[in-house]
Amino acid sequence: MFLDLHSHSVSSDDSRATVEQYVKWVQVLRKKGYTVDGMVLTEHRKFDFDKDYSELAAQSGVLILKGSELDTRYGHFLVYGVSEGLTRDIDFSDVRMDARELMQAARQHDAIAIPAHPGRFGIGLTEYIQQGETFPGVHTVEILNGGGRAGENERAEELCEKFGYLGIGGSDAHLTSHLAACMTEFRATITSESQLVDALLSREFQPVRLEETAKVAYA
Amino acid sequence: MTMQLNYDRSLHEKEHRAGPFEITAEMIRSVNASLGETGPAFISDEGAKSEGFKGMIAPPTLCSIFVREVQLPDIGLDFGKVQMHAGQRVQPIAPIYAGDTISASSHLKDVYAKTGRSGTMVFVVWETTFRNQDGEVVAEVQESFARRE
Repeated sequence: MFLDLHSHSVSSDDSRATVEQYVKWVQVLRKKGYTVDGMVLTEHRKFDFDKDYSELAAQSGVLILKGSELDTRYGHFLVYGVSEGLTRDIDFSDVRMDARELMQAARQHDAIAIPAHPGRFGIGLTEYIQQGETFPGVHTVEILNGGGRAGENERAEELCEKFGYLGIGGSDAHLTSHLAACMTEFRATITSESQLVDALLSREFQPVRLEETAKVAYA
Repeated sequence: MTMQLNYDRSLHEKEHRAGPFEITAEMIRSVNASLGETGPAFISDEGAKSEGFKGMIAPPTLCSIFVREVQLPDIGLDFGKVQMHAGQRVQPIAPIYAGDTISASSHLKDVYAKTGRSGTMVFVVWETTFRNQDGEVVAEVQESFARRE
């Protein structure tokens, strides 16, 4: 199945897209022949415990999961499988947190933290590795990011080649029509955040661009 | 190395008021002219009544003009030297009619840090609520300012 693992709704301070608009956009893409099974809302520096999209998901047939994108002193990290326990141990608003502590805490709480757009100039994980920092907890990075500038995804690819990282894909959408531009294809069937974590730990996934899913749709 | 934001947190609880401001038909026409607004409800009583209003209404963004009248204090943030306007969001809630008087009340809504390609920035968000002469909330305006490292 194909999931956009990186998107922002109006719940994030810099997005103007509502979840309802994203769902409509997925339906537009499906009519055009693309395969989009769902999205993960990775809001900036927070987790929306109070938001429940299950009814919208059931009505639309679009899987809507919740996650977070946290700022750390070593760049942004996507966190999947967020629980109240994790938010007690980690201050999601702290932009100077140590990403290594975040990754460790995430695993202790059955979640997973993955570097977002690692090739991003000035803030991606690549920058910090070049400065001599090491991140032994990293096995997977967001290799395909829909919000990057020219050359940034290529830097992420080089990082993966050098360290043997696996790669996920996400649109980093802040606008409706950007959703699903990049996604991750999973072998497993995913219906919940915990299943998403399991699927990411299984390492049976690959990044895809929206255009590549059209072949699946027409097959 | 947690990032601590030091500022006057008591400002979250304090309201800063301005007004009342009298909304005149002339003022609405002036705003219409600057915006290029030609909707019937905004240009005459007759046009407004034809669209179900009791009289001529102000364009939804009128309140953004009055935000500037609120004297906002320095929050004492010990971060950055340069402050930039980072955006404004107007949420119209009820019609503002010619002849209304509206008042503004602002409070500090949020102060938060974020990081990006250009480094760390701290955003200061003020929320201003506008009420008419009957105490009815007619609009809310959020305005953000960003400070860079």
